[in-house]
Amino acid sequence: MKSLAIVVREDGYDKLLTPLAFAYLQGAEGTQVDLLFVNWAVRALTEEGAKGQVIQGEHAAQDGWVRQQVEKAGLPPDIYDVIQALKATENVNFYACSLASSIFGVNEDNLIPEASGIVGASWFLNEKAAKAEHCQYF
Amino acid sequence: MSDIKANSKLDTSGKCCPMPIVETNVAMKKINSGEILEIIATDPGTLTDIPSWCERTGHTLMESGQSDGVIQFYVKKG
Repeated sequence: MKSLAIVVREDGYDKLLTPLAFAYLQGAEGTQVDLLFVNWAVRALTEEGAKGQVIQGEHAAQDGWVRQQVEKAGLPPDIYDVIQALKATENVNFYACSLASSIFGVNEDNLIPEASGIVGASWFLNEKAAKAEHCQYF
Repeated sequence: MSDIKANSKLDTSGKCCPMPIVETNVAMKKINSGEILEIIATDPGTLTDIPSWCERTGHTLMESGQSDGVIQFYVKKG
């Protein structure tokens, strides 16, 4: 696979793990991976938001246990550390949706340096998603 | 025990997807074409992931086997 586009809309520690793991797999192999964070998930592209991701809802009580399992599996247990590891592959780009950024309080000042910027959804859908060999939504 | 002599060894024991593939990619970049990487894994996902990774990336899976939950791969760099 040469290119993969991923749209991430669900936040929460556990819900972010799968798209990030898929991006890590493909980025490590040399696939160009572009992720657009929309809705609540855009907050994961701020340092405070990334570090503050927890498991919500019915599995909230198992947050600590899941983090231990993630660390045992070899992944950094913190979402921000995972984002940095993905960026280090040099094949993964993170984008914040401009609408989501406006609604959920993300701007150029609090956007993490690993993110490539705040972009319009139209640009991402046409320039990244439509041109990618494969597209996923989480 | 295989008779194949590896040039490099990667032990991913205890780690799960995506780390065995991520670390295999990194380890493979450090060896030369024609050299052999031995990969040790305990994640059963590697039984499908490593052979298909070899096919996609042009490397040769020379031998694989498993014993007592430990999986061993010998991959020659293409």
